[in-house]
Amino acid sequence: MAASMLSVGIDIGTSTTSMVVSRLYVENTASCFAVPHVVITKKEIIYRGYIYQTPLLGGEKIDIDRVSKILKQEYQNAGITPDMIQTGAVIITGESSRKENAALVTEKMSNLAGDFVVATAGPDLESIIAGKGAGAQDYSKENNRCVANLDIGGGTTNIAVFDHGELTGKGCYDIGGRLIKVEDQKITYISERLLPIIRSLGIQIKVGDTADVTTIKKITDRMAAILGESIGVLPVTDLCESSKTLTSTPLVITKPVEQITFSGGVADYIYSPSDQWFKHGDIGPLLAQSIIDSQWFKSSHVLPAKETIRATVVGAGSYTTSVSGSTITFSDQNILPLKNIPVFIPSALAEQEAVEGQYETYKNEAQWFLSESGMENILFTLPRTVQPGYKEVCQLADVFFEVSKMIKNDQPLLILTESDFAKALGQAVRRRIGESRSLVCIDSVHVESGDYLDLGLPMMNGMVIPVVVKTLIFG
Amino acid sequence: MTDERLVQLITEAVLKQLGKVPAQCSQDEIVFSDNSMKAVDGILPDLTTPANKAQVTVKNPDDKDAIAQMKTKTSARIGIGKAGARLKTNTYLTLRADHAGARDAVFRDVSHDFLKEMKLFSVDTMCSSRNEHLTRPDLGRQLSDDVKRELKSKCQLSPRVQIYVSDGLSSQAIEANIKDTLPALLDGLQGFGIGTGTPFFVRYGRVAAMDAISETLDAEVTCVLIGERPGLATANSMSAYIAYRATVGMPESRRTVVSNIHSGGIPPVEAGAHIAQVIKTMLEAKKSGVDLQL
Amino acid sequence: MILKTRLAGHTYEFKSVKEVMAKANEQKSGDILAGIAAESDSERIAAKEVLANLLMSDLRNNPAVDYDIDDVTRMDQDGVNASVYNRIKNMTVGEFREWILDYNTKEDDLKAISKGLTAEMIAGVTKLMSNLDLVYAANKIRIHSTCNTTAGIRGTFSTRLQPNHPTDDIEGITASLFEGLSYGCGDMLVGLNPVNDTISSCSEILKRFHEVKTKWQIPTQNCVLAHITTQIEAVKQGAPTDLIFQSIAGSQKGNEAFGFTTDIIREADALLRVKGTAKGENVLYFETGQGSELSSNAHYGADQVTMEARCYAYAKQFKPFMVNTVVGFIGPEYLYDSKQVIRAGLEDHFMGKLTGIPMGCDCCYTNHMLADQNDLEILTLSLAAAGCNYVIGVPASDDVMLNYQSNSYQDAAAVREILGLRPIREFEIWLEKMGIMENGKLTPIAGDASIFSGKGGF
Repeated sequence: MAASMLSVGIDIGTSTTSMVVSRLYVENTASCFAVPHVVITKKEIIYRGYIYQTPLLGGEKIDIDRVSKILKQEYQNAGITPDMIQTGAVIITGESSRKENAALVTEKMSNLAGDFVVATAGPDLESIIAGKGAGAQDYSKENNRCVANLDIGGGTTNIAVFDHGELTGKGCYDIGGRLIKVEDQKITYISERLLPIIRSLGIQIKVGDTADVTTIKKITDRMAAILGESIGVLPVTDLCESSKTLTSTPLVITKPVEQITFSGGVADYIYSPSDQWFKHGDIGPLLAQSIIDSQWFKSSHVLPAKETIRATVVGAGSYTTSVSGSTITFSDQNILPLKNIPVFIPSALAEQEAVEGQYETYKNEAQWFLSESGMENILFTLPRTVQPGYKEVCQLADVFFEVSKMIKNDQPLLILTESDFAKALGQAVRRRIGESRSLVCIDSVHVESGDYLDLGLPMMNGMVIPVVVKTLIFG
Repeated sequence: MTDERLVQLITEAVLKQLGKVPAQCSQDEIVFSDNSMKAVDGILPDLTTPANKAQVTVKNPDDKDAIAQMKTKTSARIGIGKAGARLKTNTYLTLRADHAGARDAVFRDVSHDFLKEMKLFSVDTMCSSRNEHLTRPDLGRQLSDDVKRELKSKCQLSPRVQIYVSDGLSSQAIEANIKDTLPALLDGLQGFGIGTGTPFFVRYGRVAAMDAISETLDAEVTCVLIGERPGLATANSMSAYIAYRATVGMPESRRTVVSNIHSGGIPPVEAGAHIAQVIKTMLEAKKSGVDLQL
Repeated sequence: MILKTRLAGHTYEFKSVKEVMAKANEQKSGDILAGIAAESDSERIAAKEVLANLLMSDLRNNPAVDYDIDDVTRMDQDGVNASVYNRIKNMTVGEFREWILDYNTKEDDLKAISKGLTAEMIAGVTKLMSNLDLVYAANKIRIHSTCNTTAGIRGTFSTRLQPNHPTDDIEGITASLFEGLSYGCGDMLVGLNPVNDTISSCSEILKRFHEVKTKWQIPTQNCVLAHITTQIEAVKQGAPTDLIFQSIAGSQKGNEAFGFTTDIIREADALLRVKGTAKGENVLYFETGQGSELSSNAHYGADQVTMEARCYAYAKQFKPFMVNTVVGFIGPEYLYDSKQVIRAGLEDHFMGKLTGIPMGCDCCYTNHMLADQNDLEILTLSLAAAGCNYVIGVPASDDVMLNYQSNSYQDAAAVREILGLRPIREFEIWLEKMGIMENGKLTPIAGDASIFSGKGGF
């Protein structure tokens, strides 16, 4: 038995906006004698949209109306309507996501995209998504190598490092192709994030100057060096530290990077160089040339990315959705889909006590989290408990019966376990809470503190529920 | 270095130059450092542990890390190296240890204490010994008239669901899983409002004994939790065979199977909950096996 | 036809040729389970004595399953070359045994006479042979077959690399494949037993095998041993395979229990000639094993050696690239212990060779039979001495998917060294190029799978 879902990815970046539509195939890969094991078996991109300039109002805000228009056109081109979409993600990337109206944009997107799930990325998630979209994770897994992807966009470079297919590092630097803008041979914009680099080089350059390739190349050379420093192939300097994107996690290189892929708009000029330096009114092609010229690039093993400028949007469309474990409990299909559920992670002590049948600590922590979140419901989790015995499952069910009293009667009880025991726990909880309250109990999904969860409509005869784990930056 | 040793080394070097290497050119102790097991507290470590099996014991590999990664992708015994064209001692003894564990699981009985703890009374099939159980599958499917009478007197008759436990080819699998699977299954069915009969244990059982039991007790659904033939990876694997209105001589295709129940496969607790769900579906559809779409 | 003899003063009388054949068998738990075995050792020898004095024509005229109801019998009987048969039909079975063993009987003579034999004749003479007889006689015969490479040439000893995985994980399968190649395994075949019998899973694995074979330019054959109908569909959809596999039985009813008919095998063979990736003319692979007919109640009261011989007669019709008995897989109710398994392995190999098919053996045991690693190794060495085309290789003998033990990747290398045997020539050249083998011996880097998966690897 197999099924599929349509997933849309939308990337609204500093410089470009694009959309892709993917079909995700799910299949029960277990033999007919085994308990089902449903996984996503294939990801197929069925529509690749145009790359649009991100419409801005006054160089700052995202122009919501024009973005909407673009997306409506794209839906039409793809031959789909919002109601056909089951899952996906909107990623507002780069500098734009820090723009004041990003929250509004997200809301608008949600309306436009109908029932599908909306997520917004911080720089960390964005790095991971781009790395997956560029194929760095797949390369790393297939070749048993440590592979870094550098997604060089207009405002930032998002870096993800995968070792043997596992994410081992993520980071983001304010290095991008549109940090200086050029129009009619004149410099029209210089990002303030570039100023420390310009100062360190002792270069005099300001808005209004004639764009001089030799001068700007000195700046892009230094920018390229910072990228080399960031992935540990050059010694780290203070400038590298100060170029780190403020809201991102520091990139820690635990093992030497063996292979590199490049994605983002600038990557196209790395893989196929051009000497029309200001053709896009920015310094993208020059930055690419600086990277090609650098010694660290020449001595690195560079692989072709599976996606370059579309890496993030393909990542958003194809790699943000996963499926729950295949033995789960839910009482009522009608309560799904559910969006933006805050994930409650108990302390180790609270979880341990819950396994032993004591509910107080777990309930107190959850109560506090619920009131802090300002939401009506939260996702109760057991992230550490592995393969409990039946006695422990019964004790946990007693605990969740108590815990369920803290949420309103019309709210479903939502439980997630990381280890595979959601069906047993769900059945045991069900026997205690009765029919009056809806219940969803799923497993085999990894969540962390600060995450939000979207639950899609059940698939494959109710065997699994599609899940998007995300971080909301406008919580 | 002593003078004596120095002289010896020089002599050897000269002889080597002359192409006259003596048969026993060195008195050095032969050291194979890569596969020695470290004793802790005066006891050698357990060969059958995952830690022992996870070791890469290939000598001077091109990329040890790559082999370690390959090992994470399969439970097959790879990255083991060789002694000449044979297995290394650790690999060989680990293989034999796992085989010994599997064999012991086949030939042991489920303990009386365990059955007492689980409150299961015990009957035998027509087999009179473990050897007969192995070589006479026909007898392992049948019950004597005495046993049929005993079942009828001790069990609830005509239950909607009859669950019982049988050793099959691994008593160890029963002792490892039943404590979690059986109550999860019974409670799960109760939660669905489905009544169950009196559970018991059948020694020397083959799967198809469930047909005779189904007929004897007139059960609508019969489910046996039975030990699977042990593999080297685990001797703890258990299966559930479930059938709607099982009858003696019915085709095998009428059985629904849930296999690979053990802590490294389908966790025993979760398996119990899953089987409860399967039985619920089966009662609604009034069929089992290939006819039942799960 | 005399069905009666005296032995140590006791008279033994048998009702039929079928009964003589069953009781003349060496002891097998499967014959006991079927209720047809000799009741004492003396009765067994009496049956052998009666069998030794039957004519070869008596065996031909008493097939285990009636001609009218069984296509295996029909193909076997109809395929007999009359003039060859006429040369031996009046020999007793005992005389035929001696003729096979005779110094003047050479390989060509045996291959020529093979055309005049039916399965029952071959099974009959096998029952009169000791284990060393079986090795000695089989060693006279080499059967060549050609897929991408040619197997079975005297002096070679090959392996099927079996990189099975408990969940068909493609990377896990590849890991075991690389490990096997690094020990010089896989010259006969890279062949996987899948867990999931689906077209998509079968295709995905075949594609990976093909990629590895192409990337490293390995002169060998690939196959995924799904059900034959699954493989046919996969090939139709473009999956690259050299061979199609099927488990076969010695009666039409047994084959139906395996879920296929003769027409399906012919369809597979024809399909591969158009859409297969193999260069040579032999594109099928069969597995057999004593006892499978009894387990599907398709043995017609015949013993398991005779039914096994009929598998080979059936296989012969399709000119397979390779055939092997999976000798210790079926369990103690058919082959109780190592003595019975070793005997069966030697019988099966000899019968296959005399039938004229390229015979290998999966020397193996399950955990509920009375056999272990030592027994498996004895059988392997004996079969290699008998000129067996190939054995199986799995990591450290432990098949993590089928849950039984077969030969380790190292075993074939050791046996080759002991008996002076080599892999298939093209494959050996490839091993030398990879630095895995030198002068027929494994090098120090053999066993290091990271030469494939590591830096610059796959």
